[in-house]
Amino acid sequence: MSKRKRDWGRPLARAVKAFYFSAFLLLFLRDFQWQGLALAFAVPLMVSLTTDLLPRLFPCDKLLMSLTNFLCALGVLVLYDTNPEYAYQQVINYGIGLIAMVVCIYLVRRVRQWGVLVWLMVPVSLVLLALPLVIGRETNGARNWFYVGGVSVQPSEIVKLSLLLVLSHYMSRRKMIPWLMFAVGCLGLLMLQKDLGTALMYYGTALMLYFAASGNLPLTVIGLGGGVGAAFAGYKMFAHVKRRVAIWQNPFADYDNAGYQIVQSLMAIASGGLFGLGLGLGSPKTIPVYHTDFIFAVICEQFGLIFGLCVLLMYVALIWRGATIAMSARSGFHGLLSMGCTLMLGLQTFLIIGGVIKLIPLTGVTMPFVSYGGTSLVSALCLMGLMQGVASLNEDHLQQDAELAQGWEVDE
Amino acid sequence: MKQRRFRFKILALILLGMFALLAVYGGYSVNTYGNRWFSFSRNPRIRTQKQNVDAGDILDRNGVVLAWSEEGKRYYQEDESARRAIVHLLGDSQGQVSNGVEAFQTSYLYGFNLTLGERLAALGSSEPLTGDTVTLTIDSRLCTAIPTYFNAHAETAGKKGAVVVMNYKTGEVLAEISLPNFDPMNITADTLADPGQPFWNRATQSVYPPGSSFKIITTVASLKYLPGIENTPITCGGGLMVDNQAIRDYGSAIHGELSLKKAFTTSCNNAYARLALAMEDAELRRTAEDFGFNDNFLFRDLVVENSTYPTKNRSQFEIATSGFGQSAITASPVHMCMVAAAIANDGQMMEPRLLRRVDGATGVERTVFESRLYRTATTPEIAATLQGYMQAVATSGTGTRAAVPGLTIGGKTGSAESSLDGADVTYGWFVGYIADDSLPFALSVLVEDIPDGEGGGSTAARIAGDIFRYLKEHPELVTDNTVE
Repeated sequence: MSKRKRDWGRPLARAVKAFYFSAFLLLFLRDFQWQGLALAFAVPLMVSLTTDLLPRLFPCDKLLMSLTNFLCALGVLVLYDTNPEYAYQQVINYGIGLIAMVVCIYLVRRVRQWGVLVWLMVPVSLVLLALPLVIGRETNGARNWFYVGGVSVQPSEIVKLSLLLVLSHYMSRRKMIPWLMFAVGCLGLLMLQKDLGTALMYYGTALMLYFAASGNLPLTVIGLGGGVGAAFAGYKMFAHVKRRVAIWQNPFADYDNAGYQIVQSLMAIASGGLFGLGLGLGSPKTIPVYHTDFIFAVICEQFGLIFGLCVLLMYVALIWRGATIAMSARSGFHGLLSMGCTLMLGLQTFLIIGGVIKLIPLTGVTMPFVSYGGTSLVSALCLMGLMQGVASLNEDHLQQDAELAQGWEVDE
Repeated sequence: MKQRRFRFKILALILLGMFALLAVYGGYSVNTYGNRWFSFSRNPRIRTQKQNVDAGDILDRNGVVLAWSEEGKRYYQEDESARRAIVHLLGDSQGQVSNGVEAFQTSYLYGFNLTLGERLAALGSSEPLTGDTVTLTIDSRLCTAIPTYFNAHAETAGKKGAVVVMNYKTGEVLAEISLPNFDPMNITADTLADPGQPFWNRATQSVYPPGSSFKIITTVASLKYLPGIENTPITCGGGLMVDNQAIRDYGSAIHGELSLKKAFTTSCNNAYARLALAMEDAELRRTAEDFGFNDNFLFRDLVVENSTYPTKNRSQFEIATSGFGQSAITASPVHMCMVAAAIANDGQMMEPRLLRRVDGATGVERTVFESRLYRTATTPEIAATLQGYMQAVATSGTGTRAAVPGLTIGGKTGSAESSLDGADVTYGWFVGYIADDSLPFALSVLVEDIPDGEGGGSTAARIAGDIFRYLKEHPELVTDNTVE
């Protein structure tokens, strides 16, 4: 057997478990709520299930798994500290998400013919995206939610998955028309929902993935130009886009109204300084939507800028790992699928953190794995499941190769 | 397949580049704007901390206690005129003044910078936690004296205005005064409703047309971009017609043939209009920008409104009037003091500073602040020529009232016109310095709405003279504990 690379997954998983055990224990010692103690054991258990038990069922990437768990649990921790009710719900979302992730891994491993499934996904996705326009409610200028049986659903989070599958399927077969029609349809519906952040994410992922699949630079540049043109048109057409850009340029101009969110976010980040005010300290709840869009500002306030940069580094490692999996995939479809998930997660993270620190206008997408929200967390974990599925297949192939090589040796 | 792998790698690198941008921008902006964001009056964390921590003391450079806390209440100096004089610089506990020391240095005063050891020690003690002691660069006696100088002269008594005094070698601010002021220990409904806006800090928050004091910069630009201008006579024929508008001098004076130096000391608008027209507008603008115009001021201790030199769509008339600091050019008194200081300091413009040192309540040294160069405004040669011109202003030009026997004074007067609420007002300026290495002080004096028939030379220059006299009598103010 060839010498294997050192596996960082195992020590990282241990560190993650230790970190959350002590963090929740600390919060328990502060206010003696049994939930804190329960979380101190539940979260490391979930990490354990996915990094120790799951790899026994089928091979998967332990490093990626540890990173994912770290980010999900970070969300739970910050939520528990700010609003325990959200944390309890988020732990349930986390559990459901992990199950969904396993299902996705299983699907990628088992399904050989995606053609029929992809065919089905196209109309279902378009209907899902159109639903909020019919029965949805408008929040923050966008109409991208609807309620089913008391549960709020953001279909664009679910359609992400089918978008990636559809793109990878047709791109790997060099059939441009079907995926292009689908992508344009999705973008059009998102524009109608006025959910420009998600539209930007879909568009960026599709364009980059197209470049990855075809290597056709001229067409990619044309696509880029079209996107810039559409963004400009959106700026001209939608009042709430104009307002967001104005707020981004100078949030302090109207700090009590329009600029309130971003000003509170910047103050929180600045208050944290390099090392943070400490877990449980500070006033994170004064940041509007601290539990979803601005959760990164809360992290920076409590743990400091250096920790915030470390969180960025976690995403960087995640992206690098995702690209590596894509590069060692044995089929075009699987490579594009893993790369697509990586691009989607990477772009989403960039959009929201960039908005929170005022690098770009705020687009109101969630922070993958960390932000509060059922659909969003489950969808991010499904993306991770797709990546893990590809990683798992890669591992199978490697083992087959090794067995084959051994077989040759025996023959000699 | 291999090519596709390569493209995957490129895309991953693009994403990583975007993340690097996030990290760099985040680090940069927190480093640059962090304190401004943090000390923003709407930060709720400060309100919480104020309930748990007693604000630290604020001292002046001589150890005079300017502000202190007792049982959760904030006190200022005993003498009312003393606490009124520095109220804008110091701020007030109600937060009526924006960006005073009380607000802008919250992170020190309210103990956000305590070390872990200090926090642990505080846990064990029953005393309430006290914030850091902040020592300022100002001299509170000088600050207290300056409003009396306004009232000592009939031309300036009761006027609104601003004064800034700084050490041009180190940037230490000795005084920063804004009139009218108010009593921080006795803010009444009348104070809040006062139409004179006593809370407004005219030294840092207001920008005014610099008028003829801007001729310092026009002269620097002329020396740089018009070779031989020093020895070329300039004609002042009374009224100069530009775009069918006449540019006249004060009292429609006709100066005839003038040297550059004479044009400067007599403050001839006609000559400076000609100089501005002889240069490219961009050349004068670039020189102004060398002196900090159009820059986003991000000083460590002071929040100063940015100064502007207009950049587009300029008519010939506007360019001509720029030569003497009109036409939408604006600057704050702090910035004009820095301009004079840069000339005095051979072209090196120092960053203005208010903080000398910060110590923990238990005596542990937190930080000692050092001087920093803000920018190189001009060459030592041009600065030397300007020094000669400015000294001539004080000996035989428009600024003789600022002269003090026994001191070599350099300066420039200005009378800037502007309309305020529809009425024309004239602002009297004097910017200047003492040309003496043992008394390295520069100042700017601004008097609002001076009486008809008066100019900067008969108003602001008188106050400048009084301040120079005070500085001459207090040579100990030079000591700077931060230069080692």
